Amino acid sequence: MIAKIRATLPACLLVLALAGCSANVTMDEPTIPAPRIAKIPVQVALRIPEEFEEFVHEENVLGKEAWTINLGRANATFFTQLFGYMFDGLTVIGPNDDARDFAFDALIEPSIDGFEFSVPNQSKTEAFAVWIRYRLRIFDSQGNNASNWTVSAYGKSQKQGLRGSDSLRRAAVLAMRDAAALIILQMDKATGVSSLAGGALAEPSIEPARMAAETDVNPAQDEADLDFGVFAIGGIEDE
Amino acid sequence: MNESTPLLPTRAIAVFGLLLFCLGGCVTSRVENARENVTGLKEGEAVVIMAKSYHQGNETESDYVTCIEDALGRGSKGLRVIPRQQFVDSLFPWFEPRTAPAETKGLSTLMARPGVAQIVEDLGVRYIVWLDGDTETVAQGGSLSCAAGPGGGGCFGFAWWQKDADYEASVWDLDGYESAGTVTADFSGTSFLPALVVPIPLIARTQSAACKGLAQQLKAFIIQ
Repeated sequence: MIAKIRATLPACLLVLALAGCSANVTMDEPTIPAPRIAKIPVQVALRIPEEFEEFVHEENVLGKEAWTINLGRANATFFTQLFGYMFDGLTVIGPNDDARDFAFDALIEPSIDGFEFSVPNQSKTEAFAVWIRYRLRIFDSQGNNASNWTVSAYGKSQKQGLRGSDSLRRAAVLAMRDAAALIILQMDKATGVSSLAGGALAEPSIEPARMAAETDVNPAQDEADLDFGVFAIGGIEDE
Repeated sequence: MNESTPLLPTRAIAVFGLLLFCLGGCVTSRVENARENVTGLKEGEAVVIMAKSYHQGNETESDYVTCIEDALGRGSKGLRVIPRQQFVDSLFPWFEPRTAPAETKGLSTLMARPGVAQIVEDLGVRYIVWLDGDTETVAQGGSLSCAAGPGGGGCFGFAWWQKDADYEASVWDLDGYESAGTVTADFSGTSFLPALVVPIPLIARTQSAACKGLAQQLKAFIIQ
């Protein structure tokens, strides 16, 4: 018996030591409160990408610990709720559905361009911070590329408890709310989505595939997108 | 001689206790207010305590905001305090860190938005108090080491640290969409940790004192 304990003890200690150096955070499905806004009179189709079904991000804090945050379906729920509140009509379609089978004025395809977070060890503060960079591709009813917009959101939460898992979860929720606020305030201005109501673009100015490629590598576009965020901070002069 | 000996431990304990109390309470404070307009609360009117946006670099701790909420609502003359999360959710997205108005001049535009004025009225919110500032360790020193062996363990040394809690509360009156004034609280406390085998923590509760001090002054400021 003692020999058995002796044999398993090192393994147990190793497991404990490894567990002490990593943390797993699983997000609950977020709930966005109903916004106090007038709905945009557009029928929208929302295509949920495959990555939104199970999004996991890992971050290794150099020489210290590994953090894993599992967003699960949080992004899918988030965009479904948000666009449900923002637009007159919303149809959610899957990644493999053919959009031509559905009637809509605008098709929106969200994706995650970047996800980062920092823990107190890294930032030398008592706070967890989360940055999310979403990309929203918007197409008209004929499939023409109407807009390609990036949204940079930020959430911060003070450390509470020993490990801070709840704080990281809270920071992620705050980042999503921040994205929601920015999308509500700036989306129509930045993308002109309301102009797609009742018909396709008269003349798509840029060939769809080319436009997407250019936006991905164009830092000037990204700077402009960031400006929207800065513009909105601490004020409501969005009209 | 025999009669006086039992008193010595009692005296020693009393002196030691007094020393602990005095050292543990080493917090200096300054609370001031600057009034810009007349204030007062009618029956059913409430206040909301908010932290200024972290997008603007503010670091006010959420437990400090909760402490102020609790302290304002406590007692026979407690104010009616609406929980900030309820307020923020009810008015989403207009009081998110990114979108919350930074100055009172944005209030009239905000109130003109669909449903906003009605929600504020339904909740009975008369004042929004914006908290700015934080508690931080500004100095520390000393040295303390602990060791343990088969025969036992112990610590030896002396450590100290000083914390400053500087907060400012800006009071916005939603009656006239104007600033009613500000209340500031500057607290400083030094904690000591002497150790002679057993460490004896003499902790200055700086943030807690700053919470009590600011809440007391804030209550007086609003009620007048």
